[in-house]
Amino acid sequence: MSTRIRIAALAMAGALSFAFSLPALAEGNLAIYAWADSISPEMVAKFEKETGIKVTVDAFSSNEDLLTKLQAGSSGYDIVTPSQHFVKIMIDSGLLEDFGASSMAAYSQVLPDWQKPWWDPTGNHSIPLAFGNAGYTVNRDLYKGPVDSWKTYFEPPVELRGKIASLAQPDEVIPAAENYLGIKYCSEDPQEMKRVLDLLLAQKPFVAAYSSDNIENRIGSGEVAAHFWWDGNTMRLRRNDKANVEYAMPKEGLVGWLDSYVVPKGAANIENAKKFIDFMAQIDNATAQYNYYGHSSPVKIDESKALYNKENAPELFPTVPVKMGQTCSPAAQELVTKVWTQLLQ
Amino acid sequence: MKPSSKNPNWNLLGLLPAHLIMLLTLIIPIGIIIVVSFSTRGPYGGFEYVFTTAPYKQLLFNEGWTGELEFNPQYLIVVARTLLLSAVTTSICLLLSFPVAYFIALQRPTIKVLLIYLVTLPFWVSMIVRVYSWIIILGKDGVIEKTLRGLGLVDQMDSLLFGNTAMLLGLVYSYIPLMILPIFASIEKLDPALIEASHDLYGNRLTTLRRVILPLTRPGMIAGAILVFVPSLGAVLEPTLLGGGKTMMMGNLIQLQFGGARNWPLGAAIAIVLMAAVMVFLIFQGLRSMRSEGLERAA
Repeated sequence: MSTRIRIAALAMAGALSFAFSLPALAEGNLAIYAWADSISPEMVAKFEKETGIKVTVDAFSSNEDLLTKLQAGSSGYDIVTPSQHFVKIMIDSGLLEDFGASSMAAYSQVLPDWQKPWWDPTGNHSIPLAFGNAGYTVNRDLYKGPVDSWKTYFEPPVELRGKIASLAQPDEVIPAAENYLGIKYCSEDPQEMKRVLDLLLAQKPFVAAYSSDNIENRIGSGEVAAHFWWDGNTMRLRRNDKANVEYAMPKEGLVGWLDSYVVPKGAANIENAKKFIDFMAQIDNATAQYNYYGHSSPVKIDESKALYNKENAPELFPTVPVKMGQTCSPAAQELVTKVWTQLLQ
Repeated sequence: MKPSSKNPNWNLLGLLPAHLIMLLTLIIPIGIIIVVSFSTRGPYGGFEYVFTTAPYKQLLFNEGWTGELEFNPQYLIVVARTLLLSAVTTSICLLLSFPVAYFIALQRPTIKVLLIYLVTLPFWVSMIVRVYSWIIILGKDGVIEKTLRGLGLVDQMDSLLFGNTAMLLGLVYSYIPLMILPIFASIEKLDPALIEASHDLYGNRLTTLRRVILPLTRPGMIAGAILVFVPSLGAVLEPTLLGGGKTMMMGNLIQLQFGGARNWPLGAAIAIVLMAAVMVFLIFQGLRSMRSEGLERAA
């Protein structure tokens, strides 16, 4: 998921990163850089109380921002939480510490599906935090039609025209378009990517905005009737704000993601980072984190205390294929950029 | 004997802090951007110190969908659009600011201070919050829609958000204080005797405005125009949040190169071209005002 951001969080992140721009050197500190609102503040407080370690949490708004920050040199963070395809880039570029994740207590809590995945084949660089998928959400007050295909989103019926919103980055929108067109992710074939561009260009006159900010207001208030979005976010908006929204289950497939805890190279407080990761994987804490964040948990949780199940949170239990986002080769990424630049030029 | 002649380095030493700040916060960062813009891109972002002019060529020539290198004005279109938008923003700010500044300058000193304080007040609030508040004003069920509906003027209305009007509104709103303040300063310096003199010489109000007030307050307007034009060029928030991000501005384009495109050198090259364009504009402007001042003095 590219951007889960609230403007307040962004503003706060700005203020915080200024206040904490000096890397924490003293023992007893832990600096976390995570998706906005992704880590339970209650769990952070509990961890601080149990260990006496002072934790600061800043928010980033896209994988691209995070990667750029790590590439630019010392970030001052001990834990960051990129998505799978960026974990692979970071490992390959030597930006992450091997913190022996596979021999940690947290690792034994990881569900078998997510142990030693393709983006971290040794399992030593990452412990998963949450997973989910990207699709689109419709406001049922405004649109009553079917949502079983990406066709509704990319080739919208009359009632949705001018009432659609997309994201500001291509990272998940293009894979979704590829699912619809039956093209493999990260295609290096210009002709295939030209078809993706043509689809998006044909959709563009019906798109009100390409924006990853403030999505819940835009779709919840009915500013737009369909929005590219994520499973858990839709579920929270529906449950917490009683918005009449529905997460589509397009038969061509959703775009999967998984965010992990990783440790940037040269982090000052690796031991504290490991303590925190182990803490968050303890079954009670993982359950509380799951209930807070509302995205699926890749570590074991206590089902009896979990708030969400198939009946009350169908968003989290997709009935259509979920195709995990891939790490594109530089050549494929070049084509992605070309599509996006020509779409918005 | 002056201290400066006792110690010839005194001036240099005294100015050293200023020079250091300029060096550390301006010259070195620009130097880094220039170096990056001539470097080779890394496969996943970042860059390597291998000299190339490829990023600058890429500004004009790109591989087409058939794989052949072809002239592609896509970046130039973005640059031109940004320049146009900034020019329009500056013009609207200028038209709105002059009467406001003039009005403020005519008030009693206590009221004047209060009004100037009010003009600068928005700067105490984060830019992002101020732009965001426009979403609440313009958006669906927003302040404007509710007011109009409450007055019975409209029944159903389209969202005012997302589009060039909303974006322009945001830009003008954000930067207008930067225009009002310098114009106010130059109107304050205007000698009322000159206006009286103009009237004594049978100049009517329009002639007085055209021949006396406007020429004498021009430095303030030029300063204000520069202060508004330059930051508008790099605006990212308003195009994204209010404009809906449907077309790229230069700020978004640079952001894309450092982010999703993983092409830092191209991003740096665009930034350098933007900066060079601004500098040429400012130098031209500076020369012009120097020449006109010279003419006035000669006359």
